[in-house]
Amino acid sequence: MGCATRWTQGREDELGGEEVGQDEAWIHESTGFDKGRMKERGEVVTTKRTAKLLALVAVLAVLATACGGEGEGGESETPSVEVTQGGTYRTSAEDFGFTGAFDPTGEYLGSAWGLYTSLLLRNLVTYKHVGGVEGDDIVPDIAESWETSADGLTWTFHLKSGVEWGPPLNRDVTSADVEYAFERINAKSLAAQYGYYYTGVIEGMTGQEKAIKPVSGIETPDDSTIIFHLVAPTGDLLYRLAMPATAPMPKEVAGCFKRAGEYGRYVMSSGPYMIKGQDELDVSSCDTLEPISGFDPTKYIVFVRNPNYDPATDESREANVDGVVITINTNTEDIYNKVLAGELDGTGYPAGEPPAPILRQYLTDPELEDKLKIDSGDRTWYIFMNLLVPPFDDIHVRKAVNFVIDKAALQKAWGGPSHGEIATSIEPPTVLATTAEYDPYATPNHEGDVQAAMDEMKQSKYDADGDGVCDADVCDGVLMINRNYPPFSDMSPVIQDNLAQIGINIKVRELDSSTAYTTDQTVENLIPIAANAGWGKDYADPSTFAVLFLESGISCTGQVNYSEVGMTQAQAEECNVIDAWNAATSNGQNPLPNVDEKFTECNAALGDARTTCWTEFDQYLMEEVVPWAPYLWATVLSTLSDSVTKYEFDQFAGTISYSRIAVDNGLDPNTVPVG
Amino acid sequence: MSQVGTQPIAEPHAPDFGEPTAQVMGRSPWELFWRRFRQDRVALVGLGFIAVLMLVAISAPLIARFVAHHGPNELNTNLTDAIGLPAVGPSKAYWLGVDTVGRDVFVRTVYGARTSLTVAFVATGLAVTLGIVLGTLAGFFGGWVDTLVSRVMDIVLSLPVLLLALGISAACSIKATGCLAGLVQPGVPLVIEIIALFTWPYIGRIVRGQVLSLREKEFVEAARSQGFTNPAIMFREILPNLAASIIVYTTLIIPSNIIFEASLSFLGIGIPFTTPSWGRMISDAAGNQLYTAAWWMLLAPGVALVMTTLAFNLVGDGLRDALDPRTGG
Repeated sequence: MGCATRWTQGREDELGGEEVGQDEAWIHESTGFDKGRMKERGEVVTTKRTAKLLALVAVLAVLATACGGEGEGGESETPSVEVTQGGTYRTSAEDFGFTGAFDPTGEYLGSAWGLYTSLLLRNLVTYKHVGGVEGDDIVPDIAESWETSADGLTWTFHLKSGVEWGPPLNRDVTSADVEYAFERINAKSLAAQYGYYYTGVIEGMTGQEKAIKPVSGIETPDDSTIIFHLVAPTGDLLYRLAMPATAPMPKEVAGCFKRAGEYGRYVMSSGPYMIKGQDELDVSSCDTLEPISGFDPTKYIVFVRNPNYDPATDESREANVDGVVITINTNTEDIYNKVLAGELDGTGYPAGEPPAPILRQYLTDPELEDKLKIDSGDRTWYIFMNLLVPPFDDIHVRKAVNFVIDKAALQKAWGGPSHGEIATSIEPPTVLATTAEYDPYATPNHEGDVQAAMDEMKQSKYDADGDGVCDADVCDGVLMINRNYPPFSDMSPVIQDNLAQIGINIKVRELDSSTAYTTDQTVENLIPIAANAGWGKDYADPSTFAVLFLESGISCTGQVNYSEVGMTQAQAEECNVIDAWNAATSNGQNPLPNVDEKFTECNAALGDARTTCWTEFDQYLMEEVVPWAPYLWATVLSTLSDSVTKYEFDQFAGTISYSRIAVDNGLDPNTVPVG
Repeated sequence: MSQVGTQPIAEPHAPDFGEPTAQVMGRSPWELFWRRFRQDRVALVGLGFIAVLMLVAISAPLIARFVAHHGPNELNTNLTDAIGLPAVGPSKAYWLGVDTVGRDVFVRTVYGARTSLTVAFVATGLAVTLGIVLGTLAGFFGGWVDTLVSRVMDIVLSLPVLLLALGISAACSIKATGCLAGLVQPGVPLVIEIIALFTWPYIGRIVRGQVLSLREKEFVEAARSQGFTNPAIMFREILPNLAASIIVYTTLIIPSNIIFEASLSFLGIGIPFTTPSWGRMISDAAGNQLYTAAWWMLLAPGVALVMTTLAFNLVGDGLRDALDPRTGG
C-alpha cells in the first residue's frame, strides 16, 4: 500500500451521541449522524460508473495527500511474514458502543458493520474488505449476477447456490430471507436507523408499518431470484444493498423479535464465522431461544468458524483466522499496553487514540515502526459557529475565526501529523479530491494569521473603532462547548488564546462526549461555538458531508446542522429560537444562507459535472456561508502485536479487516479467556 | 483576746517554683492551649508550611511576573515536540518544565495554591457556618426541628457526591449563564457550592450532639432563669463551649476539601483550565499516560497537594491534642 492513506468510516466520533430512540423517525434518526455516519435524505442519482470515477479521483487524492505529507511513521505495508492460517485475533474496546443493540436492522455503528460484513452476514453485494479506494468497490456476495431494466426502476438479482445458514438452521439462504430483511426495515417498531436509504426508494417501503409484512415492491418468484421495484432510478442502489440491514434474515429466528435491538443477541450467521454457541440454540420455537452464549454486550463477543460456510461462494473474504475475540476493557491505555505486551493481537474495534508516550514509542522505535498502521479516516474535525448567535452572526467574524485559529497547534494537540492532515475545507480530499489544494484561509505554516483575522474583524459590525479587535459586549464570555478529555482538553487553551487575539473571549464548558453532542444537537441551547464535533462518511461521496448543511438537518432536539445554515422562520418558531432568528436575519429581511437547492443540483449531477458541482458547493460553504473552521482530516491509528502476519484495513467499516487479517498465535477461539 | 490572737495566722505559703516572688498565675484557656500547642513541633512545622503557602498564594502574580517571567495561561506550543509532548523539562527558564501546551508548570503550581486555598477556605467556611447554625438549632430545639435537620443530614450524607456533582456540572454547563438563573455557575463557584453542600452535615452532626448534652447543663438553666432569649442562650452560652471541637474539625475538614476540589477538577467537572488547579494538573498529567514522558507535569502539583493536605492534617492533630487533653498526646 506504500504510503496510501485510506478511507475509513468515522471511529472516535461514532462513540459520541446518545442512544438512538426507537420510535421517532427523523429526530432520533438524526442523532445517528453524530456517530460519524451519513444520512442520505434525498435520492442520490449516481451511476456505478460515476461512483467508480469518484473512486478514481479519490485514489489520486489519496496518493497526493498521503504521499505529500511528512513521514508518518507506520506504513500500511503488510509485514513480509507469510500469511498464516488459524489462530485467533484478540482485541479490546472500551465499549461496544452499539446504537441498536447489535440488531442488524437498526445497528448504525461502523465498527459493528465491520463485524457483520466481514464475519457474520453476507449481503447481495458487498465490499472487498480492503483498505484504500479499492475498498469502496462493490463485488457480488450472495448474488451471482443482476440486471437492471432500461428505465432503471427494476433490479433483478440471481442468488448463488451453496450459501447456507450456520447451525442449527443448516438450510440454504433464499431470496425470501433477503426479502424478510426489508420487511424488518419497513417495520416502525424495529427502528431501522438508516432506513431512509430504502424508504421512498423501493416501492411500498415507508418505514412506518405497524406489522412485519411483505413489501409490495419486492418480488421473490423463486428461492434464488429477487426483484426490486424502485420509485425512481437510484444509481447507487448497490451501495445501499451492501449495508448490513439488507443482509438476509432467517424468519424462523428473527421473526421472534418484533422490537428494536432484541434480535441482537441471536444474530444468525450466513458468513464465514458465527457467534460462539449459535449451534447450541434450540430453534424449534420462539420460546426455546436463549441468547447466544458467546456474546455478552457488556463483556465480550467471540466468533468461531461457521461449519456451513463454503469459501467457493465467496470472493471477498479470506477468513484466515479461526476466530475473533473482542473483550471490553474500559482503560484505553491498558488496551494499548496489552498490544505492546502481546496479550492482544492489535487494536481494531474502536479504542481511543493511542496515548502520546505510546505513540512516540511506535514512531521512534524501529522495531515497532511497522506495527503502527495509519489509515485515512475520511473524517473532518471542525469548530462550528452558530449563524444565529452574536458575534458569529456576522460572516466577517466567522472568517476572522478561520484565519486566527492556529491549526498547527491543534494538530499537535491531537498528537501530530500521524493523527491527520490539517483540514482546509469541509470535504476531506479522500472524498472530494479537489479540496486537496484548496485553502481559502491559508496562513503561514497553518499557525494562524492574526493580521488577516483582524482585517476581517474590522469589516464586521462588532468592531466599531476599526482596530481589528471585537469591542462589542457580545464578544465577552462567549460559550464554547468542548469535550473534557485529550486531545480536546488540550485544544481548549489554544482556541481560547487564538480567539482572544481578535477580542473574542470564550468561556469553555468541557463535557463528556455524549453530553457535548446532545448539547449541540438541541437548537434551543443556541451554542455559539463548539469544538467537540467531527464527521465521517457513510460511503465515499461528497453528499455525505454536504447533507450536514441542509434545512432538513435542523430539528429541535436532534439536529446535525449545528450552525443552523438555512434555518427558516417556521423552524425558528418551532424550536423556540425566534428572537435570535429575528435578530440574526433582521426580522427575516436577510435570510440565512440556504444550500438546499445547490445540494439537489449537485446530487443530480453526474461525472465531472458532479465533481465540479460539489467542489463549488464546498467552496460556497467555506467562503460565503462559513459555518465551520475545519482543522483536521483525521486518520485511524491501529497498533499490532508481533503475532499479526497480515494486516488489512476495511475501508467500508473503518476498522481492521477481520476477514483478511492473519495471525500466528495458534490460539483456539473457544479457549481464549474472556473474563 | 487571748494571747493566741496576737499573731496573725500565717497565710499558707505558695509552693516555690523557683521564682520567689511568683504568685498564682491565672492562665486563660488560650494561653494553656498555646503552651501545649507550642510543644507540638510537628504541628508547628505544619503551621509554618501553611503560612509560607499562603504567602506564596498571595504573591503568585508577583512570582509569575518577576521570578518566572511567565503568566499562568501563557501558551507556547513551540515548547512541545512534533506529537505534542512537552519538550522542556525542569530548566533555568522553566523551573518545573512545561505542559502539553507549553505553559509553565511552576507558575501554574504556584497559582494552584491560590485555587486550592480559596476553595478550601471558602467552602469550609460555608460548610462550617451552615453546620453550626443548623446543628445548634437541631440540638437546642429538638422535636420536629431536630428530626427535619437530622433527616436532611442523613440524606445529604447518603447522596453519591461525585455522580451528583457530575450531573449538576453538566446541567449547568449548557448555557452561558449557568443554571438556576445564574445562581449556579460552573467553575469555582460551583465547586465551592458542591463542597459546602456535602460537608456541612459532618460539622452539623457534631454540633447537634454537643448542644444536645449542653442544653441540659446548669449554666443553661441559669441563663434561662435570668430571662435570656433562645438565640442568646444558643449563641452566647452554648456555642463558646463548642469552640474547641469546631476549630479542630474545621482544620481537619480543610484538607479533605482540598482533596475534594482536586478530585472534582481531576474528573474535569471542577475548575476551568484558565484557573490553574492541582487536581486538574494531575489529571492532565495522568491522562494519556503523559507522566511517563513528562514526569514533571505530575510531580509538582502532586507534591504540592500532598504537602498541603499533610500540613493541614498535622495542624489539625496538634490543635486537637492541645484543645482537648483527654484525647492524649
